[in-house]
Amino acid sequence: MEILGTVIGVAVKSLIFIVGMFLASAYLTLIERKFAGHVQQRPGPLHVGFHGILQPIADALKVLTKEDIVPANVDRVLFYMASLLAFVPVIMILAVIPFGEPFTVFGLEIKPYITDLNVGLILALAFGSISIYGVIFAGWASNSKYPMIGGLRKAAVLIGYEVALGFAMVGPLMMAGSFSLREIVAAQDGFFGAFIWYQPIAFIVILFAILAETGRTPFDVQEAEAELVSGYNTEYSGMKFGLFPLAEWYIGTFVLSAIAVILFFGGWKGPEIFGPLSPFVWFFLKVGMMFMFFLWVHWTLPRYRVDQITEIAWKVMLPLSLLNIFITAFIILIKG
Amino acid sequence: MDLNLIAFWSLSTIAVLSALGVVFFRNIIYAVLSLISTLIAISGLFFNLGAELIGALQILIYAVAIVVFYVLVISTVPKYEGEAIDLKYSLLSTPFAFILFMELAYVSVYGLWVSGTGVFGPAMLNQVSNVKAVATMLFTKYLFPFEVASVILLVAMIGAIVLGKKDIVED
Repeated sequence: MEILGTVIGVAVKSLIFIVGMFLASAYLTLIERKFAGHVQQRPGPLHVGFHGILQPIADALKVLTKEDIVPANVDRVLFYMASLLAFVPVIMILAVIPFGEPFTVFGLEIKPYITDLNVGLILALAFGSISIYGVIFAGWASNSKYPMIGGLRKAAVLIGYEVALGFAMVGPLMMAGSFSLREIVAAQDGFFGAFIWYQPIAFIVILFAILAETGRTPFDVQEAEAELVSGYNTEYSGMKFGLFPLAEWYIGTFVLSAIAVILFFGGWKGPEIFGPLSPFVWFFLKVGMMFMFFLWVHWTLPRYRVDQITEIAWKVMLPLSLLNIFITAFIILIKG
Repeated sequence: MDLNLIAFWSLSTIAVLSALGVVFFRNIIYAVLSLISTLIAISGLFFNLGAELIGALQILIYAVAIVVFYVLVISTVPKYEGEAIDLKYSLLSTPFAFILFMELAYVSVYGLWVSGTGVFGPAMLNQVSNVKAVATMLFTKYLFPFEVASVILLVAMIGAIVLGKKDIVED
């Protein structure tokens, strides 16, 4: 009976996280469209609800009720599976992200995370990189040349930046002495204890890697509308099409921003000016600011060429992150 | 029924079924997909055993870093739907399969005797984390093999760069 209780507890908690992430990502699309609009000096969505506040709901209805066209020459099994392969691993990263310390409400202890593994960070990296198969298989299954090129480009980008991302995370890890995301937050004390002050190189590498991994603009060669129609998702329509940007641009960027905040900005720590809610307020404020930063980059910069992207990954980012490990190790050795 | 037991049986069923898929699928993309599924199921088995570090690395290194290169190569060749079982190759591979099987059998039987002994026994592992245990062994007892492996990898990397450069010059 106790097992059943644990299973139900974890299932309910996961469901809350997943549904919450879905609703949040719907409104992240609105934030992005408003942001893009104002960057380009236009109002953005304006007519559905007050200043477009109901636009995500209209979008969801539209995308769900659209005619779902499956081209005749695609590999059907993989074509359907690819959109899930891109989507599910990204949302699984949520399982290892802590949103705060455990707290008690009405005598019931609530842990605002699904699991606290001591290899949480590696697992987040692993899930993040599995989603690459969704893009590659979408390109292959579409049986068409532009999606194929888009899928291969994404794979080339991801292989390079995954390595740099992994090595860049070693710096903050060495300072915290743990892979557990909660312990990394616990290791950062006060305003000047945040790792951003000690690991600026790692932070820059991770910014580049997150942009590359989520396919946001300086690195969005996998869809490059001017060259590849729409890249790997050209043949998709309806909700199957909608899942790709939802997974990459919104949920992916959000969870990776959360990890960056945990690694460099002290997670949910901050002055307790919002009462008992302050950890959550601080965490979501910081994550929101990281997310907005990526939007800012996305809507202002032009796109790199493919060869420039891989060149930056292997010739600049990887040596920088290795240098960062060396410097950090040296300083830790001296300071003891 | 114990939760670990349920997880073990379902994960090993998935692992075995998808391993069969790797061998018997005619479409090589499906074979690679089943390979990924096998590797992830095995990583789940590691988690079930309490070896979280190896489980997470299994996904990161095997299921992604290595297989993604297979996928890259395979997805660029035209659709190949040949024989799933080729008699010539099966005969050729039998001795290697036998050697591999003997090796795995030796390791499993040997593991039966030595598991639970050594510095990091089950009691010790409850106190220190997986990561610490692996790191301690790697950087003390097995430091020399570790360094040799990294030198070999470095040589391979330099070789790959040299080979890659040559192609561009010839073009």
